[in-house]
Amino acid sequence: MRVLVVGGSGSGKSAYAERLAARLAEQRTYVATMRNEGTEADERIRRHREQRADLGFVTIECPDSLAAACREKAEGVVLVDDLGNLVANALFAPDGTMTDPATVLDRLAGEVEALAQSYEHAVLVGNEVGSEGVYRFEGTNVWVRLIGALNCRIAASFDEVVEVVAGVPCHVKGDAA
Amino acid sequence: MVLVIGGLASGKRSYVRSLGYTDEQMGTQSFDGRPVLAALEELLREGPLDDVTFSDIASREVVCCCEVGMGVVPIDREERAWRERVGRTCTKLAAEATRVVRMVCGIPMVLKGDEV
Repeated sequence: MRVLVVGGSGSGKSAYAERLAARLAEQRTYVATMRNEGTEADERIRRHREQRADLGFVTIECPDSLAAACREKAEGVVLVDDLGNLVANALFAPDGTMTDPATVLDRLAGEVEALAQSYEHAVLVGNEVGSEGVYRFEGTNVWVRLIGALNCRIAASFDEVVEVVAGVPCHVKGDAA
Repeated sequence: MVLVIGGLASGKRSYVRSLGYTDEQMGTQSFDGRPVLAALEELLREGPLDDVTFSDIASREVVCCCEVGMGVVPIDREERAWRERVGRTCTKLAAEATRVVRMVCGIPMVLKGDEV
């Protein structure tokens, strides 16, 4: 099963995705996408590690590309959390320079497809960020549009899309997740 | 009228195309005679719609509007007022619409009316 899970900040999408992954298979791979570059990241990483500590995940750090997590016919479920970090890391170099968004979209969509084909099940955590109206920086605008476009690409090919609202899973596509 | 709402790059225009409309049938201006109004939020930048303009919009076959009212309330007064106008106008249009669709990841969620 291939599932895209989206939701706002603090909506409970990560916790839901982890429970779902735990239900899908006993062999669990966790793909972490956050670049560790500060205390706020430290805190978030610690909280997410605690959430999944008892669920038996093997963690692979992939802040820049999903290629390192692709395997030949790997067993079990792969969980990616989350796509927003991956998009930001792919779009912006640490010095702030931006890569062409269309190029990033094609690369990441291809990597998602390759990753989903590598494992029996794939659960991807995405972000709902495009409903705020005003973006102070052009870079934010590009990032938001890219996340929206990637969500649409993934949702079109995945079996299930779930929007988590206040911790409650709402089925956008399919109803098996 | 079908009202299509959703965040930035959520697949609103792709959905309208899936209903059989071409890009040429989608306009962004009032009184442009096209069946589809895309980007209603941009029409509301300068102020609220007068009654005649609202009637023109409400008489279209499809109206698309970007959801702009979530997240942080902007510190700028004009931006706050604009987001409020967009929300109020969508609410009025939704009351008149035969169908209201919210796009999530390119997938239409029907909030009001029947599935196509």
